[in-house]
Amino acid sequence: MSALIEMRKIAKSYRGAVALKDVDFTLEEGEIHALVGENGAGKSTLTKIMAGAVEADGGTMLFAGEPVAFRSPAEALAAGIAMVFQETSLVPSMTVAQNLYLGDEPFLSRLRGVQVAAQQFLQSLNFTVDPGALVSTLGAAKRQMVEIARAVRLRARVIIFDEPTATLTPEEKRYFFALLRRLKARGVSIVFISHALEEALRISDRITILRDGALVSTGETPGFTRDSIIAAMVGRVLSGELYRKRDDIAGLRSAGDKALSVQDVSMGNIVRNNAFSVFYAQVTGIFGLIGSGRTETAKIIAGIYKRDFVRGGEIERDGQPIRYRVPRQAMQDGIVYVTEDRKLEGFFETKSIAENLYSGYLAAGLNRSVVVSMREMARLAETWRKTLNIRALESNERVVELSGGNQQRVVIGKSLVQRPRIIIFDEPTRGVDVGAIAEIHALIGGLADEGLAVIVISSYLPEIMNLSDRILVFRQGRCVEEFSPAEVDEERIMYAAVH
Amino acid sequence: MSLLDILRGRAITIPPLDGAFRPTTLLEDAEAIARLTAPDDLIVVDGRVFCSSGDTVVALGETQPVARFGVRVACLAARPGGGFAAGLEDGRIILWQAGSGPEIARPARLDCPTALLFLDRDRLAVAQGARGLKPSDWVRSIMGHDRSGAVWLLDAAGGAARRLADGLAFPWGLAANVDNLIVSECGRHRLLSVPLSGGPAKPLLTGLPGYPARLTPAAAGGGWLAIAALRNRLIEFVLREDDYRQSMMAELDPRHWIAPALASGRNFLEPLQCGGVRSMGVHKPWAPTRSYGLVVRLDARWQPVSSAHSRAGGQRHGVTGLVEHGGRLLAASQGGDVVVVLP
Repeated sequence: MSALIEMRKIAKSYRGAVALKDVDFTLEEGEIHALVGENGAGKSTLTKIMAGAVEADGGTMLFAGEPVAFRSPAEALAAGIAMVFQETSLVPSMTVAQNLYLGDEPFLSRLRGVQVAAQQFLQSLNFTVDPGALVSTLGAAKRQMVEIARAVRLRARVIIFDEPTATLTPEEKRYFFALLRRLKARGVSIVFISHALEEALRISDRITILRDGALVSTGETPGFTRDSIIAAMVGRVLSGELYRKRDDIAGLRSAGDKALSVQDVSMGNIVRNNAFSVFYAQVTGIFGLIGSGRTETAKIIAGIYKRDFVRGGEIERDGQPIRYRVPRQAMQDGIVYVTEDRKLEGFFETKSIAENLYSGYLAAGLNRSVVVSMREMARLAETWRKTLNIRALESNERVVELSGGNQQRVVIGKSLVQRPRIIIFDEPTRGVDVGAIAEIHALIGGLADEGLAVIVISSYLPEIMNLSDRILVFRQGRCVEEFSPAEVDEERIMYAAVH
Repeated sequence: MSLLDILRGRAITIPPLDGAFRPTTLLEDAEAIARLTAPDDLIVVDGRVFCSSGDTVVALGETQPVARFGVRVACLAARPGGGFAAGLEDGRIILWQAGSGPEIARPARLDCPTALLFLDRDRLAVAQGARGLKPSDWVRSIMGHDRSGAVWLLDAAGGAARRLADGLAFPWGLAANVDNLIVSECGRHRLLSVPLSGGPAKPLLTGLPGYPARLTPAAAGGGWLAIAALRNRLIEFVLREDDYRQSMMAELDPRHWIAPALASGRNFLEPLQCGGVRSMGVHKPWAPTRSYGLVVRLDARWQPVSSAHSRAGGQRHGVTGLVEHGGRLLAASQGGDVVVVLP
């Protein structure tokens, strides 16, 4: 085998935050190469540079021995590098055949002609997908198949998969792995990002491990074990006070009354018979990899998603069963969810701090007057700006103009004005600078000290270990382990999350 | 039950074993201090630990039984000032002191004593599991949705009896708490607070993941609760399938019912528990299980704070009796035929 892709000293930063630093990566011809690492290790950035979706700040990339620098995914695709994202880029309202030939239809095309061509092509790949079926009616595995077929049709020599198995059922996974082997037999090289280490060990020829944007280890798969991969994935140096380990059991808050009892909650394939409890006056940390159902479970509790109508399980708040149709009902019951994606779901970016805080107040139905009260809004903004130490010149400043840390404080403030009793923080310090992280951590701890039931969902293990009084580990849609931060180390948590 | 439950069927869920109920192996690893056949209730009398086993009451560490009653001893209570009371399988309650045992007068309606507690030398609280059943019929009571249990206050000197609460689903444990009695209601998986002065019982701890049995006070405040068996989805399902349940109860030997049990793996006719079946000689601790060992520490508000487990792969199952002695907790495991001491 010879190197098809060779990347040397690849570097990439996002607004000063280093995503990749001097990473070397080679992909041989006809190999399956697994790329593993924690969330935020730089796997996606590296593959996006390969596929032209992101431009590197430094380093060189050789494709088939020639230096290349793709400026768009279309350029990379034309050269033979295709990327299959976790969320497929197919058009759901079109048929499989139409999707396969999208953007590449003959000038005078007939639907039937496209369908016949697609059928022949899919058969040549031994893919059992009906070319006439609407993509919206296909399952996750079949959609991925269509995506792969599209890549193969465009003569891709390299196909990159980002978390391909996260949403697949075990049967679909077997199907998918057989497909990868067939592609390999056709000489296609495959890059495969996965959090499921068993899969990486089973399917790949070589494994590369990234940590905090740097290459930790690369080599032939038989040279790795699950444990050695986990050790390499998490072996970071803990950064002092901010993420200190809580090994003193006396320092942990003891549980108050049971706030939430989640019993057998299911939602499609994502949340499966999930069961756990949350207590007042305590921080319950939830750790899990992408696709483990953490966010979805939290959103079900907060009434944003609905659990399955039949056999969807039960959720009890203070011993009373709850099932919300809309989040407003949850807010009025004192359950709030602080989103992980603040830009999309957290705030109105062109509105002021005051307006955003007041919108949270209105959403919970706490306003006394029928019309919007400017005085009430100003009072609220001033109080919470001081409480949360939101650094802005005035409350009328637009949220979009604030730093990440201050934006996050606005999002948290918007939830706190709703006077919650149970508050769920999803990735509370994502994209937040170090100084703000310490303040947000103190704020979260303070809420638990005040007697609130606090749930913190985080992909960052040191954060979970520092903040939590008990740690729940989620895997494949359910809570699989509970740890006390005083008795556990990062490797054990990671082990539970991937096994 | 909500209106929607009629359309989609009621969810059958069980509270998870987390928080204070987080699985451990403390009970399984505990030191065994006595091997007895199905040890049931434990009490301390004059510094000696008495345990009921079959029709006898034995003192731990002694070779001769303290008392033999001819019928199974269902429950015990230490009497302040010496002696003890024993509730028997046939409904009688015997006051035992220095080798003699007069029967305590009780109303005809009071049969099936499952737990006894002396509030002072003469006032005896009695938990009546179910009317017309025997104390060992706890499984029949649960599977039959029986709600005829009650709590009584008797005068050991032969005075009047007073019913403090009724309509209960197999009360199985009693503890004193100032002016109230704490009652474990097995069939409804909860603890109740019953005022001694009369008045309605109030739920104190609901949604237990198993079937609560006896209670005992802790020296440091609060108490200990024995959980006789865990709830599981299969049993919860059978409890809602009335036709099936009734024919099962009518036609099958109770040992082979799909029902909670104090021990398992003793007969190949027992219902299999899917993942709980031994595979390659290994019984997975987290597998579904017919019987389980669980002891729960309750704080002064009678809320759970920690627990000791003997899991699916263990032996110390079916704990029904507990007592503190010498700063340590003794637990009687009927499934494991052993009395263990927890540190």
